[in-house]
Amino acid sequence: MIEVKGLNKSFNGKPVLENINIKFKPGECSLIIGASGSGKTVLLKNLVGLYSPDEGEIWYDSNNFTSMDLAHKKVFRKEMGMLFQESALFDFATVQENVMFPMDFFTDWSFEQKLERVNFCLNRVNLENVNNLYPAQLSGGMQKRVGIARAIAMKPKYLFCDEPNSGLDPTTSIVIDRLIQEITTEYQITTVINTHDMNSVMEIGDHIGFIHKGHLVWEGNNKQIMDTDCQPLNDFVFANNLARQLKKNSSV
Amino acid sequence: MKQMFQTAGEYCQLMARVFRRPEKWTIFWRQFWIESQKLIIASIPLLIIISASVGAVIVIQTASNLESPFIPKYYVGVMARESLVLEFCSTMIALILAGKMGSSIASEIGSMRITEQIDAMEIMGVNSANFLILPKICSATIFSPLLMLMSFFIGLCGGAVLISLTGIITLGQYADGLQFAFRSWYIFYSMIKMGLFCFLITSFASYYGYYAKGGSLGVGKSSTQAIVISSTLILIFDLILTKLLL
Repeated sequence: MIEVKGLNKSFNGKPVLENINIKFKPGECSLIIGASGSGKTVLLKNLVGLYSPDEGEIWYDSNNFTSMDLAHKKVFRKEMGMLFQESALFDFATVQENVMFPMDFFTDWSFEQKLERVNFCLNRVNLENVNNLYPAQLSGGMQKRVGIARAIAMKPKYLFCDEPNSGLDPTTSIVIDRLIQEITTEYQITTVINTHDMNSVMEIGDHIGFIHKGHLVWEGNNKQIMDTDCQPLNDFVFANNLARQLKKNSSV
Repeated sequence: MKQMFQTAGEYCQLMARVFRRPEKWTIFWRQFWIESQKLIIASIPLLIIISASVGAVIVIQTASNLESPFIPKYYVGVMARESLVLEFCSTMIALILAGKMGSSIASEIGSMRITEQIDAMEIMGVNSANFLILPKICSATIFSPLLMLMSFFIGLCGGAVLISLTGIITLGQYADGLQFAFRSWYIFYSMIKMGLFCFLITSFASYYGYYAKGGSLGVGKSSTQAIVISSTLILIFDLILTKLLL
């Protein structure tokens, strides 16, 4: 479990996150939603340690991640996997080398053992015969799947996804969402996903936190979100005509 | 002034992260040879063309300026040797490499920064500065003195080819000049300069790439800054080393 306690973060004196308190449970897809610039990515970067909070604490199970020194954080990061918005696959490496990268650093496995794990991870994300391709030779959806394969290569306890559906068509988005959900449930991973894609929210939102102007203003799940009376959330969720029509029809 | 101190501080912090024991030596050596190929071996064709043509030009210019009958003809060889070894093969070649290597390193690392590839390494627990920068600095610093030697040899050969084609002086006079009052220390002095200059090029280009921000424009800006700063530092350290070592 990940627990955020009283987290504050500002840049050049401008507050970006204020007093964030939230828990993320294992085996659940926790979605952080909010408008662009609301502070979602800053929260995610605080969780993984790319930013340090100005105030507050982040606990991973019984470990206070915020107060850990760099050496401990480094050890701890081996239990984290992250899928980036643009996949962040290494341009200089093939798909196989990308997925093998963390194993090269942190395991003493033989090449055959590493290759077996790479193939397992690629099969798990439904990719075959792509081992020797470079990221530039893959479609956006395939790059995301390789990103997921790399993120789960070291059997992480915590998985972070930053806008996993950005730039993907609705069908591929659903494939990626379901894949993340399956992996989360199957391996009992604590998964935190940043998104503003309402399809993802409705599809896999076991637990949803809505951030508005740096504050966590609502928490619930994908069923409760339809009936909320939180005005900023309603403005966000029902921003387009289709969504408003759906809400109207459901209330009738 | 504040900006300068901030840059110096960030550079030192980055170097402190770079000069750590590599996570795995096998990975370090693999990267070291890859970088040697990209930075050193890939520079050889450019170096051959420039060194040969500059060696030939120095011979023509020196010969055309030595009209006095009191100055022996073999001085063309002496002048070519001294010009090449003292300044051209280290400082001028380093300035050319600052453009080639510097822009390549800054844009490569800068692109990785803005596409979050460096963040991905950090989240995995990999010391990205050590993995990406240390092999570049080591390969450039260790092998660049050999580039200097190669440039010197090719420059001299360029001069010899020109002499054999034009007959400005005889090849024998040229060879005498190359051996006249030869000081081997100049070769070591030039190799030391080249090693230091390539350290400056690779470390500053890596620094500007590592802290690149603002999309592709930011990467372009970081490449330009890397070239400007490393060229300026090469000229400053050229003065300092010349004063200290000669």
